[in-house]
Amino acid sequence: MATTAAQAANSGGFAAPSLKWSTALQALLLLLVDGFGAFLAYNIWQDGNAFFAIVIVLTLALITVITLVPRLWPLKWISPALALMILLSVYPLLYTGYIAFTNFSDGHRYTKTEAVELLAERRYLPEGGATYAWSLYQNAAGAYGLWLTNQAGESFFATPEGMFTAVSGEAPGEYEGYALLEGGARFRALNSIEGVTFGDAENAVGIQSLETAGAFEQQWVYDAAADALTDRATGVVYTANNTTGEFTAPDGSAAPFGFWVSVGFDNFGRIISSALSQGPLIRVILWTIGFAVIGSLSGFALGLAAALLLDGQSTWLRVLRAVMIVPYAVPGLVSVLVWRGMLNANIGIIPQTMESIFGWAPPFSSDPGWAKFAILLVNIWFSAPYFMLIGSGALQSISSQVYEAAQVDGASRWVQFWKITLPLVLVALGPLLIASIIFNFNNFFLMEALFGGGPPIAGTSAPPVGHTDNLISYTYRLAFSAGGTKDYGLASALGVVIFFIVGILTLLQFRLTRTWEQVSENV
Amino acid sequence: MSSSTAVSTAAKVAVVQPRQAPALSAIVLRAARILCIVLLLAFALFPILWVVSASFNPSGTMASQTLIPQNIDSLEELFGNYTRLFNDPQVPFWRWVGNSLFVAGGSSLCVVLVASLSAYAFSRFRFKYRRNLLLSIFLVQVFPNVLAMVAIYLMVLQIGKYVPFLGLDSYGGLMMIYIGGGMALNIWLMKGFFDTVPRDIDESAMVDGATPTQIYWRLIFPLVRPVLAVVGLLAFTGTLSDFLLARVLLTDRQNWTLMVGLYSFVEGQFSDNWGVFAAGALLTAVPVVVLYLFLQRFIVSGLTAGAVKG
Repeated sequence: MATTAAQAANSGGFAAPSLKWSTALQALLLLLVDGFGAFLAYNIWQDGNAFFAIVIVLTLALITVITLVPRLWPLKWISPALALMILLSVYPLLYTGYIAFTNFSDGHRYTKTEAVELLAERRYLPEGGATYAWSLYQNAAGAYGLWLTNQAGESFFATPEGMFTAVSGEAPGEYEGYALLEGGARFRALNSIEGVTFGDAENAVGIQSLETAGAFEQQWVYDAAADALTDRATGVVYTANNTTGEFTAPDGSAAPFGFWVSVGFDNFGRIISSALSQGPLIRVILWTIGFAVIGSLSGFALGLAAALLLDGQSTWLRVLRAVMIVPYAVPGLVSVLVWRGMLNANIGIIPQTMESIFGWAPPFSSDPGWAKFAILLVNIWFSAPYFMLIGSGALQSISSQVYEAAQVDGASRWVQFWKITLPLVLVALGPLLIASIIFNFNNFFLMEALFGGGPPIAGTSAPPVGHTDNLISYTYRLAFSAGGTKDYGLASALGVVIFFIVGILTLLQFRLTRTWEQVSENV
Repeated sequence: MSSSTAVSTAAKVAVVQPRQAPALSAIVLRAARILCIVLLLAFALFPILWVVSASFNPSGTMASQTLIPQNIDSLEELFGNYTRLFNDPQVPFWRWVGNSLFVAGGSSLCVVLVASLSAYAFSRFRFKYRRNLLLSIFLVQVFPNVLAMVAIYLMVLQIGKYVPFLGLDSYGGLMMIYIGGGMALNIWLMKGFFDTVPRDIDESAMVDGATPTQIYWRLIFPLVRPVLAVVGLLAFTGTLSDFLLARVLLTDRQNWTLMVGLYSFVEGQFSDNWGVFAAGALLTAVPVVVLYLFLQRFIVSGLTAGAVKG
């Protein structure tokens, strides 16, 4: 009893959990999780991604310590969530920060070891190598096989699945379910077997001509001492350049792909110089901030106006307020796509109607200004119901006595709005307004799904940057656009920059929230 | 309190009453207000009317659409877009629905279970670094995972090599990312709700010798179950609406979620697929909207607790 009390005292007033079957269950769960995690970490370490492996091991260690040390019992409740967050939210963030300092991109996707290994798998048909006469076979499933006979008269049967067995005699009409293809059938199959590798790793064979097949050989050979790759097809030596992550020949050409290396602050330097040289980036930044601020304020203003219009206790007004939730409730992507259809140049309902009434319609998707206007309009449609919803709650919480006092003092409705309603609503909604600005700063899907960031800024080709791209959709385009260079390193560096901006805004919000709370306590 | 409200309402009525005499300015004001309300509703609801109308437009193309569908001779024509949606072998609509329900349901259930434990601990226990931990969780939540997309993609790719059911093009991998990503926000939301449950309940049970585990499962959990259900449903609809993660991580058409599927209509000939898209969009949106209408009261309190729709 005395120990329980003592434990209760130092653990915040609760009795410590007693030893029971739940302890056994915990131990079992811990073993399972640790075992699974260790298996994963070991394999990922073997793969060469030491960073991820270390994060996994540290997370496991954290869980284990929390579970086993009785004094840490409050953390036990948090540990599952904590582990999931570290692995699935924090690690991707850290890894993004790591990629930001590399040249990880389309031609630099692998580590040096991986790149050398992958290149070593490439085969070529050397001239003057071993050659075979070949006959083509096909089985019922449509798979091909080759009957090969070399100059010495030895015969082999090879398939693309890695079979290469010695056989004897002349090519038969059928061999183990494979039927001989001759004449036109053989000719027609040429297209599908050209470039295919038959046989196993030591005996890789491909057809060279209608008559002969040749033995493939390894094309790229790495010499660790010289740190260079030799292309045996041409004899050119490509020396590894460990600062750019490429294998370069004396004439300046490079091997098919390189490897990724750390490039220090290069990516950040590119961001700054692009911003300084008035490149597209500065426009993107201005639009990001402009949209976040104007978009949030306009949504807030219309939402508050709607809340005032629909303020009241009659059934009608209640129903209308409920109806106004609909635009907010429709899944975001669905409504952006509906708007995209309605704004479609020429045949969308909005340009069409304007065309028939005024004889002119704004070029929403091709003119930068109108595209921005359309995005702000659609954003109002999204965010006004949200602000109306919380605004009408705030309006109802304002005591009617305040208004009565104002009326007694002879204040007009206009004055009442500016001096009473707006300040009090701002107290309640201010933090949410800032949260909305942060959200809109990162509003990716509106930019991407409405116009795909377009219309493109002239002179930006790969990847194309649009007038309505904000930082986050620009980043996405850098990393994932089909035509671009897929510059993950630069995209990640931009991600890091955005992270810091958002972080600062969030801390600001925290500060303001606290001040606002103090203000509202005084009211 | 109630008496003072009654008095003040009476006073308000007394003040307002003389103004409601048929003064011209009052009539103009009233008319202006009604006009504004009508305009507001038109703006808010027109896109929705338009998509409903598009889904019943028999020719299914954007150019031929009118607000009230024309040339409908039979029920078959009226529901032509819906039959196309259900029967097109390229569009496994119900499979997409099933995928979405499975992924969103599974991940929101996990999130609510795990996050509620943490939220309870943050709400009730006092321990070292509690505040710092809470703040860090908030910061993690603010960072949009669109930016960590490359890292997430590479991570799922790597894990999938050894644990195929958590890899690319698997529901497990997608759910894993949703669970990890939704955790922080939901811990914050639920902590707010737990804070509103009086601590007296815990304390009296503690005096009787109950352990925290017992208090949570026997007393608090039954109390907050309706709230947890609401948070769960919000997490569910949030996951259902996600598009980007699902698009990057799921490659096989059969495995797509509803949102990825709907987006695929846009990538082809959007104006020709317009009717089918509208039918699919409507079928997606209606259940979510109905859910929101039912949960409106909780949503408003949840929103003011600091959440923004993401």
